[in-house]
Amino acid sequence: MNGVKKQSFQFQLGRSDALRSSIKQVYIYVVLVLIVFVFSVMKLDQVEMFGRGHFLSPDSVINLLRSAVPILTLSGAFTLLMISGYIDLSVGSAMSLSAVVYALMILNGFSFWPALLITLILGVIMGSVNAYLVMNLRITPVIATLVTLSLFKGIALLIVPDGLSAIKGSPDKAMPGWINDYARKEVLFGLPAAFWVAVLVIVAMVIIQRKTILGKYAAAIGGNRIAADLSGISAVKIVWILYILVGLFAAMAGMARASYMSLGDPLSGDGMELDCIIAVLLGGTAFSGGEGSVAKTVIGSLIIICVTIGLMTVIPAYWQVAAKGSVLLIAVVLNHLLVRDTASA
Amino acid sequence: MATNQMQKPAAGVRLSDESFITVFMVGILVLVFALASLFVPNFSTAKNIFNLVTNNWFVIVLGVGVTLVLITGNFDMSVGGNIALTGVLSVYFVQGVNVSQNTLANGLGLPYVVAIGLALLCAVGVGAINAFFIAKLKVPSIIVTLGTMMLARGAAKVITQGAQRNTSLPDIFGWLGSLSIPGTSIRLPVLVMISLIILAYIFEKKTVFARRIYLIGANPEAARLSGINVAKYLTALYLVSGLLAGITGILLASEYKAGVSSRAMGYEFDALVIALLGGVSINGGFGSVLGMFVGAIILSVVTSAATGLLLSPDWQFTLKAIVTFIAILSQRYALDRRKA
Amino acid sequence: MKPTENVLEIRNLVKDFPGVRAVDDVSFDIKRNTVHCLVGENGAGKSTLIKILTGVYERTSGQILLNGEEHDPQNPRDAKQKGISTLFQELNVVDQLTVEENLSLGVEETTFGFLRRTDKTNQMVSVMNSIEPSIKPGQLVSTLSVAKKQIVEIARAVAAESNIIIMDEPTAAISESEIARLFTIIRSLRENNVTVIYISHRLDEIFEIGDNVTVMRDGGHIATKPVAEIEDRSELIRMMIGKTVFEHYMPRDDISPDLILQVKNLSNHRLNDISFDVKAGEVVGFYGLVGAGKTELARAIFGADHCDGEILFKGEKLRANPEKSIAAGIALVPEERRTQGLFTILTIRGNVPVMNMSKISRSGFINAAKERTVAQEYVEKLNIATNSIEKEAAKLSGGNQQKVVLSKCLFADADLLMLDEPTRGIDVGAKSEIYSLIRQLSNEGKTIIIFSSELPEIMNICDSIHLLYDGSLKSTLRNGLDVDSEYILHVVTGGD
Repeated sequence: MNGVKKQSFQFQLGRSDALRSSIKQVYIYVVLVLIVFVFSVMKLDQVEMFGRGHFLSPDSVINLLRSAVPILTLSGAFTLLMISGYIDLSVGSAMSLSAVVYALMILNGFSFWPALLITLILGVIMGSVNAYLVMNLRITPVIATLVTLSLFKGIALLIVPDGLSAIKGSPDKAMPGWINDYARKEVLFGLPAAFWVAVLVIVAMVIIQRKTILGKYAAAIGGNRIAADLSGISAVKIVWILYILVGLFAAMAGMARASYMSLGDPLSGDGMELDCIIAVLLGGTAFSGGEGSVAKTVIGSLIIICVTIGLMTVIPAYWQVAAKGSVLLIAVVLNHLLVRDTASA
Repeated sequence: MATNQMQKPAAGVRLSDESFITVFMVGILVLVFALASLFVPNFSTAKNIFNLVTNNWFVIVLGVGVTLVLITGNFDMSVGGNIALTGVLSVYFVQGVNVSQNTLANGLGLPYVVAIGLALLCAVGVGAINAFFIAKLKVPSIIVTLGTMMLARGAAKVITQGAQRNTSLPDIFGWLGSLSIPGTSIRLPVLVMISLIILAYIFEKKTVFARRIYLIGANPEAARLSGINVAKYLTALYLVSGLLAGITGILLASEYKAGVSSRAMGYEFDALVIALLGGVSINGGFGSVLGMFVGAIILSVVTSAATGLLLSPDWQFTLKAIVTFIAILSQRYALDRRKA
Repeated sequence: MKPTENVLEIRNLVKDFPGVRAVDDVSFDIKRNTVHCLVGENGAGKSTLIKILTGVYERTSGQILLNGEEHDPQNPRDAKQKGISTLFQELNVVDQLTVEENLSLGVEETTFGFLRRTDKTNQMVSVMNSIEPSIKPGQLVSTLSVAKKQIVEIARAVAAESNIIIMDEPTAAISESEIARLFTIIRSLRENNVTVIYISHRLDEIFEIGDNVTVMRDGGHIATKPVAEIEDRSELIRMMIGKTVFEHYMPRDDISPDLILQVKNLSNHRLNDISFDVKAGEVVGFYGLVGAGKTELARAIFGADHCDGEILFKGEKLRANPEKSIAAGIALVPEERRTQGLFTILTIRGNVPVMNMSKISRSGFINAAKERTVAQEYVEKLNIATNSIEKEAAKLSGGNQQKVVLSKCLFADADLLMLDEPTRGIDVGAKSEIYSLIRQLSNEGKTIIIFSSELPEIMNICDSIHLLYDGSLKSTLRNGLDVDSEYILHVVTGGD
């Protein structure tokens, strides 16, 4: 079958294979640099390099990094889950629900820490629901998480009172002004706490992937399930933990989004699952699991954010969906060309 | 009692698993309907029943394509975006050339028939992109079709600048959407739905083509070794699914006399849900369009009963999710019991 | 505890499968720190025996003593903990992890979940490096050759302090020099208190590496003796095939000289320049042991796998594509019945006509009555045991499933029928029915190619016999009284 073709092909083209593997190592960095370069020279006739309105002006970079907080927070755990060969399409809705719940608590007089804690517990519960459906009831991951996508989103919509589009302050009951401190107030280098937390999360996820038993077992389960089972690894337990992590960080991303917008929008996480998939595919994680890198997913996340934010500076916002769709399909093609064949060699 | 009866019938009378699940879901439908009639006033009137069956014609039309794709073990999540794109294009193609200062009022000025033809071609084109990635590059269908969903909806947004196109349309544009059988309230879209169900039922049960779809879903490798060109059949199905989305898009645009870029959000999910409710197995090789139709009515009974019970429309997402889980688990339980 | 002389004692072991007794009252001992070889034809019961030892199967009756104590593993992991590791043919290493990560997989030492590099890890690495210094611990396993992956697995087994390592056909996919290296490793294992149970079809290897050998045949134990006491290959071969009187099939004289199939210089990653001709109406057998390339050859001819070379069918070049092959008049009964041949979730009626739908349909529409008639006809013709054609294929026994697959191929109306292991894993009754069916088909003028690892099967029904070893066609014989089964086994086990 395919395998046969591949082997003889690779036998003849051993050298180009090595080339491809080195392209695979560096291409994502090149893509990021290229995109940044393109956007920074694009309007040079109108604005000064690094000046006001330029893509790389301090304001613009800070804005870009602040927008990147949710995907940076979430995509690391998402990568680990995909490395283990599973998927969670409900992350966007989980984010929305968390944003709504968090905003609701703040509006009703909760202080920061209790509200955060409860939001994170909610994240763990959502992750557990997915894990239970997939691992214990054995519903196909795609179906199970598509349905929880609808479930979480539905609950978020139910929480928002009729007639309102989001949980937000009203003349009777004002949203406390400090709600956006977390995601907007400068803490270090002009960036807010939410960003630095996201950086910490990334560092933690990179360490988890490279240094801990969880990262290793995720790769073993996705790479060779039989070998993992024979080595006494409990796939059920590991994948449960991964789904919980994804739920937890989806909640954290949702809370950051609510804080950034000062309201709880039940649609604020829509499409996050696709952003995560794009970032993961750009980062070279194999569809089939086993192989992948959290660090490269981070670069992939930055690419998406650059493309969406950068495009908005040159073309109208309504191009965004089409741009993301194209990036996804391009990522699929790149992934196909670079990852798939070398992975099975 | 019930199990005894199931095991007794002489060979040949015994239902296939597929018909069993359809009958099982019809039973559930009757039950849900009876409950709704008890608690919701005016639920079982003829008019309401008619509405229950026909109001969601668009999801059912999509469901036909989605079900056939699902039987091969694949997804098509691009149908919602495809509807938006086709609707917007059908408007853009007929709008006059340079008739207004407003760019959203200017189009290509093509005759309506040509416009429809071209819009349908684009809808099939989206299906062709799906087919290329899935059948040729063997990329998981869920990822590809989520991508083309965004691509199609994104293109619709670009053409409408994120909103809609509804001006400088010729009168003929609304004709298809308002057409109905004289003297009745049966409109063209409903007619399309009914004929598609009948066609699909015959197709599914009688044709060699459909039989091969089931074979591919049941065991792709055995299908290949039995001389079935798997890529060819997958391609055909994605083209058909694209075409059905296109037809839906054109009819909806005509009915509302507008091409709206946010039209049909989430329809791909509804189409998937009714297929699952109707017993189509995501593992492939199992399910029927008739089952999907039953699933669609169950969903519409449940949602409309919920509205009747004064639940806010916001309940729909939660309700769909819960109903789907119950359906998946109860079908599995029923099949296991039957096999044991 | 004083170690017993025998590391493993097997007493009256029996394993029954529905309709078949796979292991029949087997008793023998395996001496500590020896290389104990296990030989026998396919279906002799070796694999079943190994699977009982490693906890994959549960025995029907009998006793196994490991170090003098009752041994009843629940699963392979359990067996491993009790000191029995296995190198399966499908290697169980994770390609995406490094060598070191694979070595410690499942036995990591951690602090708060962080992997620690401990003495134990270092020890594992040094065990591995003492076996094969060229493997670096940080290397990805996907970059290693099959032979080196085996070494990683051996190192894992050694580090797990296994006293028994079972190797199932370890040399099937590695080169000559790598085999020599493996043997050096096996010898040093033996010196380091490890008993190796070695299974191979290559008999020369038994003489080179084995201390003792157990021969099995038809599920029974034939002999266990020191290799030194065995005179030569032929003695071993005689024990393997026994006194089985082959019901020799006399090749027919009336085969037309017309060639229906010409295969020229067929090569791919498992096949090495194979050429042969098949006459119309002939029954041709390909015989070879596991890994000889039978399945690969069948799939290559059928167009299911890519290959180089030329295949002419009825004088015309075949396109490498099953759809085109079937249209041209070739059908294949694949090796793996359940995953490649059968649509298990469909009924018998749904399975039978799939390769020739045009015969039960008209302008694309299926004639349901005709479909039922056809299914019924084949159920009767092949004597498929079922009460209804509406029975799901999954619910049939192995033999009946195979008959459904055969029906499917027969209904394709092919002129050339290729059967890959047509009777594997099915009971004796169904077997003989399939043989008489093949004869009948041949009398009707069909050409048949059988790919089999069971010699009696080949000798009973074929007009000519091709012998495969290691992907090459080694010899071609005409069947008849003068065919020497010892010679055949000599060739297919790698003899000159």
